[in-house]
Amino acid sequence: MTLKVDIKDKIKQNSSMFVNFIKNAITASPKVQNNFLEVTTKVAETALKIIKDADLIVDLNYKGKEFWSINRCKTSCFIDGGVDRTSIISSAPLSIRAGSYIVKPDATSKREFFEESMVFLGDLYDPKNELYDFVDDDFEEDQMLNKKKDGARIIFEAATIVKHILLNKKFDYCFLHGPLEATVMPFTVAGFPTFTKFAVENMFPFISKNSSVEARHFINAYLEALNYIKKSKFPIYGIVETSNSAPYIKNLLFNYKIKGTISDKDYNSVIKTIKKYKITDSHILEIILSSGQALKPLEVKKQLAGFTVTSGSAWEEKMDSFPKVFIGYIKTSDNQAPVRIESLNYPKHLIKDYEYILGTSRLLPNYGFPVGLNVVDKFAKIPNWMSKTSRKYYATHLLRQAIKNKDQNTVSLAVKILSKKSRSWKNRPIGGISK
Amino acid sequence: MSKFNNWKAIGTVLGETDINEYHFSLKNYKAKKGDIVTTASRLPSTDGTVIPVTVWGKISSIERFNAFFPAEAAQELTNEDIDIRDTILPTTKDELRCKVIILGYTEDGKEKISKLLPLNYPVMPAAIVKYPSSKDVEELFISDLDSSHPISIGNLLARKDVEIKIDGDNLISRHISVWGMSGSGKTVFVRRILTELLNLKYPSFVLDIHGDYLGFVQKQKKYFPDNKVKLFYPNLSVRAEDKEIVYTLIDKLGNTLTDPQRDFLNSLLEKIKYEGGSLLQYIKLLNVKAREFASSGSTSFKNVKPASMFVVARSLRIVSKKLENMEQTNARHRRKMSHLKFEELPDSATEPEKIISKGQMSILYLRGYENLPASAIVSIVLENLFRHRQEASEEIAPFFTVIEEAHNFIPSRSENKDDIPSVDTIRKVISEGRKFGTGVMIISQRPSRVDETIASQCNSQVVFRIVNQRDQRATTRDSETLSNDDAKQLPNLANGQGIISGQIVNYSLPVQIKFDEKLINDDIGNENFIDTVENWDDKESVKLRKKFAKDFADINEIDSRRAN
Ligand SMILES: Nc1ncnc2c1ncn2[C@@H]1O[C@H](COP(=O)(O)OP(=O)(O)OP(=O)(O)O)[C@@H](O)[C@H]1O
Ligand SMILES: [Mg+2]
Repeated sequence: MTLKVDIKDKIKQNSSMFVNFIKNAITASPKVQNNFLEVTTKVAETALKIIKDADLIVDLNYKGKEFWSINRCKTSCFIDGGVDRTSIISSAPLSIRAGSYIVKPDATSKREFFEESMVFLGDLYDPKNELYDFVDDDFEEDQMLNKKKDGARIIFEAATIVKHILLNKKFDYCFLHGPLEATVMPFTVAGFPTFTKFAVENMFPFISKNSSVEARHFINAYLEALNYIKKSKFPIYGIVETSNSAPYIKNLLFNYKIKGTISDKDYNSVIKTIKKYKITDSHILEIILSSGQALKPLEVKKQLAGFTVTSGSAWEEKMDSFPKVFIGYIKTSDNQAPVRIESLNYPKHLIKDYEYILGTSRLLPNYGFPVGLNVVDKFAKIPNWMSKTSRKYYATHLLRQAIKNKDQNTVSLAVKILSKKSRSWKNRPIGGISK
Repeated sequence: MSKFNNWKAIGTVLGETDINEYHFSLKNYKAKKGDIVTTASRLPSTDGTVIPVTVWGKISSIERFNAFFPAEAAQELTNEDIDIRDTILPTTKDELRCKVIILGYTEDGKEKISKLLPLNYPVMPAAIVKYPSSKDVEELFISDLDSSHPISIGNLLARKDVEIKIDGDNLISRHISVWGMSGSGKTVFVRRILTELLNLKYPSFVLDIHGDYLGFVQKQKKYFPDNKVKLFYPNLSVRAEDKEIVYTLIDKLGNTLTDPQRDFLNSLLEKIKYEGGSLLQYIKLLNVKAREFASSGSTSFKNVKPASMFVVARSLRIVSKKLENMEQTNARHRRKMSHLKFEELPDSATEPEKIISKGQMSILYLRGYENLPASAIVSIVLENLFRHRQEASEEIAPFFTVIEEAHNFIPSRSENKDDIPSVDTIRKVISEGRKFGTGVMIISQRPSRVDETIASQCNSQVVFRIVNQRDQRATTRDSETLSNDDAKQLPNLANGQGIISGQIVNYSLPVQIKFDEKLINDDIGNENFIDTVENWDDKESVKLRKKFAKDFADINEIDSRRAN
């Protein structure tokens, strides 16, 4: 009874909800517009009931000073990738990077490390580029270029995690900015190039040197990488700020349908409603959860085959073999939608880990996600090559890495790649002039 | 090259470079603003070969930013009283970006560091920036200064162990301006220079308004036994030719006169011939005569009414009174320092050698004099001394003039103080001085109030702390060598820290001036009013007055008591 009023109020106060409402108001039919508030409220109410029934809500504890005095001994690694903005000229050099921010607050000597873990500077259309094998793109050029960029960024991020595991880093936590397992469907298009032998061997040494060309395709390489990451000794989480879909709610409903608690008919109709009103996990959980509350993870199948692109394609089976992902949510602040937490294993220390995420997010109150990811995001961001100031900034930044070349901790796979010979792989670029 | 290899690497050259400047990314705490840094480079030489060189530069600014610290984190840290070092926030990710002004290059592979040559080919991006040893920086400065009379003035601000010398020959043959707000260290610097000039036996003439240079007189026997330090007080004596000055003094010091009154004054000056000697006596004489003409209703002045004559007479009285007062004030100050020997300023026209002579420093103690008479005095003396240098006979040796409170002697036109007699004299001395060996140093707290053309003829400059924006602008306006980056530093300088630039050093350098404490005159010392009050004892007259005051108060009280 009061619950309903409560939720309605929350919707009204909730800005992202409101934005969605406006969007709907513009694009949707008058009927949809009228019903939006009612429907969302109703869905949220129902979801909350199920969530309570499944006992998924946990209350997290956070006391600023105390939290940090306990956690100052923890070593955390934050990873993010970056791609320069689509330049107008497709032949302009492209830059893709993944960086790590590794910090141990109470370290005696050096408390923090910034690593340029992977860098690619070059032209993806150049047949001699060292990342992708060359294919004549029949596919619409821009679209393919964007996919190549995305693919490269995703693979770089994975390779960075792999690198840390390979180097046997003693992290207490490792966080990736973005999904830990990306949706691979876009890369199943025909004609998507394979990575070069050179790149794959250096990024993922565990992939057999003698394997086929197909093993170097994004899907296969990424799958191998994820399987490797899954075996990590330290916990690894992907942190996603906002959800554009409703995997958690849908899975929850699905589980209840399987159990028989929800009828097939009800299930189908509510899924249809969610789609129609573009209701996402973020919308619903934002009103259900209060600040400092979390949802226990659910196991979710990320790679959904069956869309037109993939159905019947050679990749359909492959996509099925991708590891399932555990998805949980934490509402880290009053004014932000809950962040999504992805992991490949069920967290061994759920509460403690989530509290750590909450604690690190409190230092970024307006964004509400771990501040370390904000730090590495800035570090990995590739400034617009066109602007002089940012070019200078980027140069400063890369060169600082070069100064630190004696630092063993910055040894990365990319260094190995560089040492082979290369123009476009640059872990230690020298002021934009190659030797 | 060997030298370069021994120096410590402190950063890497960034992005675009040219032959005038470059930027580099600096390792934390490895250098400061004003530091001298080097980078190895290669240049095309005249014979077509490529030669290895060391490029020398000066850090002219440093920017520091932590782009990785999100501002909003500060809220939580404050609210929860969290120590940032306990958190995962980055604390070490400061980027330090330095701008370097290139001074020039030296060729590698030479035994000694040679003179700096102008760079004609940009430095290499990504080259390593190194921090040269103090010994090598000093060696560079010395060889670059290439001076037969180097004068030590202090050390490089950024590095204690790098001594800075200036070129003595350039100093005394050209002109130098010294700017800085009160207490910033100007006088300390001037004393440093004067000490060196005494050692070189080079004559100097110092206009001392506040008695800042009396220490030289006091300590002469002890520290400058082979020199003479003379202390003069002004005597307002004019030669007949200086009628112009007399007129100006009367006109400006006295009442404002109308045109007919001015005519009368002029005619009076024509009629009553001035034979030289004390100006005061002459003005008194003029007063008497004016009064006579007025009361006798003299008709020898066309169109001048007796009333006007009276006005002029009154004005002359005021002038003589003022001059008398100034003389007395000056004398009173002198009396306080009874153990210092003050002499009346010799006649600069006829006995210039008493003022300027080898190994002698002459101090003209101007305390108590208002601007205008002081200016008149200075104008007359400098005019005469300059003339004696100018004439073929060269009756006196070359000498160096120090003008404290220069804004009083050479005020900017915008001050509307035209007819200040010293302006023309000093302008002449400065613009022609090079030929005759009459170098001038002008010192002021308010460079914006100093005559621009004169200031811009000073080809060397020392600037101490300046906060006032107008004065900051004036320093860069008057200088060809002082950059805007230098100007930005001015408000942050501490006592005795100055930026020295111009021909005496070749390029602008921030310097900590050496403080010769021994040259402070112990007698006046710092104005320590608290101690004065602590040791205060009322004078007899005051004691008596107080006693009587009590008696009078008693009377008063009794008087006002009502009988009841
Ligand atoms: N190089 C120096 N090293 C140490 N202290 C200094 C230095 N220069 C100045 N000071 C300190 O500052 C005081 C004032 O310096 P100074 O008399 O030179 O100032 P100024 O610029 O001449 O001021 P004003 O314009 O009032 O005459 C000195 O008495 C001394 O205590
Ligand atoms: Mg002074």
